[in-house]
Amino acid sequence: MEGLSPVDGWAVFAISAKAAGYAAALVAMGGPLFIATFREAPEEVLRLARRAAALAALLGLVVLALRLGIRSARISGIGLAGATDPMMLGLVWDSPLGTAALWRGAGEVLILGLVFRSTLTLAGGVLGALLVAWSYTQVGHSLGEPRWLLASLLGLHLLAAAFWVGALAPLHRAAGRVEGVDLLHRFGIIAGGTVAALVLLGLTFAWLTIGSLGGLFGTAYGWMLIVKLTAVTGLLGLAARNKLRLVPALAAQTPSAPSRLRRAIRLESVVVVLILMATAALTTITTPPANL
Amino acid sequence: MKTIIFAAALTLTTSALLAHSNSNETTPQEGAIVETVEVIELRFDMPMRITVITLTGPEGEVELTRETGLEPVPEFRALLPEEVVVGGYKVDWRGLSEDGHPMQGTFAFTVGD
Repeated sequence: MEGLSPVDGWAVFAISAKAAGYAAALVAMGGPLFIATFREAPEEVLRLARRAAALAALLGLVVLALRLGIRSARISGIGLAGATDPMMLGLVWDSPLGTAALWRGAGEVLILGLVFRSTLTLAGGVLGALLVAWSYTQVGHSLGEPRWLLASLLGLHLLAAAFWVGALAPLHRAAGRVEGVDLLHRFGIIAGGTVAALVLLGLTFAWLTIGSLGGLFGTAYGWMLIVKLTAVTGLLGLAARNKLRLVPALAAQTPSAPSRLRRAIRLESVVVVLILMATAALTTITTPPANL
Repeated sequence: MKTIIFAAALTLTTSALLAHSNSNETTPQEGAIVETVEVIELRFDMPMRITVITLTGPEGEVELTRETGLEPVPEFRALLPEEVVVGGYKVDWRGLSEDGHPMQGTFAFTVGD
């Protein structure tokens, strides 16, 4: 298969850490976006959104440090000892990952401020979300040409993804409460637009980096993307069922609706994890056909 | 999922591919049979920072003298000792590409008649 890098234990570790970093970044970015969009949501739901975002930001910082060590180990060729080798760490820090780590770290620190409830910390959190999205445009496949188009597509794709993923925990909480119906209904309306944007931005990015059907079906990158898109299709199906059936059932006070909706949101989270694993594999061990 | 990806990736791996700064241009070439060898060269489309390179021959690891330092280069060079014994050799390298991806590759050649 063309465009597949060698996969060793360190590569698997790197993929897992990167997926954990994605999850942390999306939940951290999504928190302030959720709070800023749904300021009238029940206070209990907003409190959960603030705490989840801050916790995710903290986890994101830990994963970021871990990833610098993993990359250092991978380029050192000497395994674990390479993870703390000052020279190798210095080379990683000088690479685009170092630049991205600075922006992402700054963004995640700003999001940590959400543990305190105020307009100022919320503004800081939104700025933090933008910085984290920006950090991902400073490294990896979005550095290809056309640079600014790829970077813009990726940054907006991540913000749209964060709006969804960061909302899962607060919506799960809202689904168990009578007064949560309004929030779920409003989220469904807004998500109709943001999810469409998420998919279109992602597909445009993929088209620019793949460019042909041969690239899609003839390379490891193409096949890994197909795996990701299959999971994304499943996620869209779950989301559509929530919006069209379960939220209306909740509004109609169907007795089984809260538990079914909560279960569906938990299932969405599991599918999101699968998507993030596929994405991490895509950006770690495969090369976009445009670069081959 | 991790296991599935890992298994799929292993199945799909045919050989060590030089992703991102793609190029398979090496001296000696992969699979070549050469009378003697004085230098190992790696050429890339995009600058590559080679962090580690090892040469393993019939008598174990052969010491290489790097001509290229740790800076990103489109062409990397390392010199062999004057005397090389006949037999099979394998080069393993690792590096960091311009977009920050960790890269690695391997190729083999034979010294003989």
